[in-house]
Amino acid sequence: MLEKRIVVVGCGRLGASIANDLYEQGEDVIVIDKNEDSFRKLSDSFGGLTYVNEGTRVETYEQLELKKDDILIVVTNDDNVNIMISQLVRKMFQIHTIICRLYDPQRECVYQEFGIETICPTYLSVNRIENILRGKRSA
Amino acid sequence: MKKEVLLVGGFHKTMYLAQSLLDKGYGVTVINNIYEDCMALAQIEKLNIIYGDGTKPFVLEEAEAHLMDIAIALTKKDEDNLVICELCKKRFHIQKTLSLVNDPQKINFFYQMGIDSVVNAISTVSRIIEQQAFVDEMTEIVSVDDNRVNIMEIKVKDKMPINKKKLYELSLPENSIIGYILRNNQGIVPRGDTRILEGDKLIIICSKNNQEAIIKEMTGQ
Repeated sequence: MLEKRIVVVGCGRLGASIANDLYEQGEDVIVIDKNEDSFRKLSDSFGGLTYVNEGTRVETYEQLELKKDDILIVVTNDDNVNIMISQLVRKMFQIHTIICRLYDPQRECVYQEFGIETICPTYLSVNRIENILRGKRSA
Repeated sequence: MKKEVLLVGGFHKTMYLAQSLLDKGYGVTVINNIYEDCMALAQIEKLNIIYGDGTKPFVLEEAEAHLMDIAIALTKKDEDNLVICELCKKRFHIQKTLSLVNDPQKINFFYQMGIDSVVNAISTVSRIIEQQAFVDEMTEIVSVDDNRVNIMEIKVKDKMPINKKKLYELSLPENSIIGYILRNNQGIVPRGDTRILEGDKLIIICSKNNQEAIIKEMTGQ
């Protein structure tokens, strides 16, 4: 039985750092990006798989032969692309765990019924800033 | 009541479609995120135009998407069209959504996502070209029910095997029927004993899978 793999779509700043981290932790990591240059953001010690292909294409995922237990992290710089990839992969492979970054929290409603985890940098920043402020006040 | 149609993205197609829909008495609203295109579209009388990104809910709100009966996504990007239609459906509860899709492999996926109609320009156009280029006898083919059913027109020529035959003598494949015959500008609803003559135009309804078998049976090619 193959080990559970983690597939990161989009090798931007977030994609590259999460891939580096997970690889350091001993995970089986695959990074997909349409642009080979993007992989330069990965650290020199990164030993996971890099895969140059269009993340919106069906073949990309067929070639990877994803399993239900694999984990997909979708972090390209385009919300709509992220939405489409998440839904496409969910439909094609019934993958349980899909995590997806959305810049615009308003689009989240599209996801709700699909059970796709979304993270929104705006919300995270708001929370963090409020926490800092609260800390300052109580001090 | 007047039906309201929302067109999102696209330029040439949108302009043509908007004009055509307005002529037919629909109310039409266009969303476009290129300012120059909006200005050009504004030449069309009675057309409502919203400048903005149609994949953003607040832009759709501004376009009063909740009042629309039909939403049509015409942008160049599949992902944008998908999100537009999903937002229209789920957030604004628009009855019917239609989307263009570039990648033929995503047609089924789009249907699975609840979009009511998916149009793939590439496969549609190439199918028409193929039909026009390789089958002379056929003048027109219309596909309905997502290409599962074809309605085609065959003009009967002297040398065709079906010429001068009666309908019951033909062995047409299953699920196909000659529904109508145009002869000397008059229409005939054919019966089993109707004889096919040279110059007739046969209107044939068949499933897509049978199309080639029928052409072979009719034309001998």
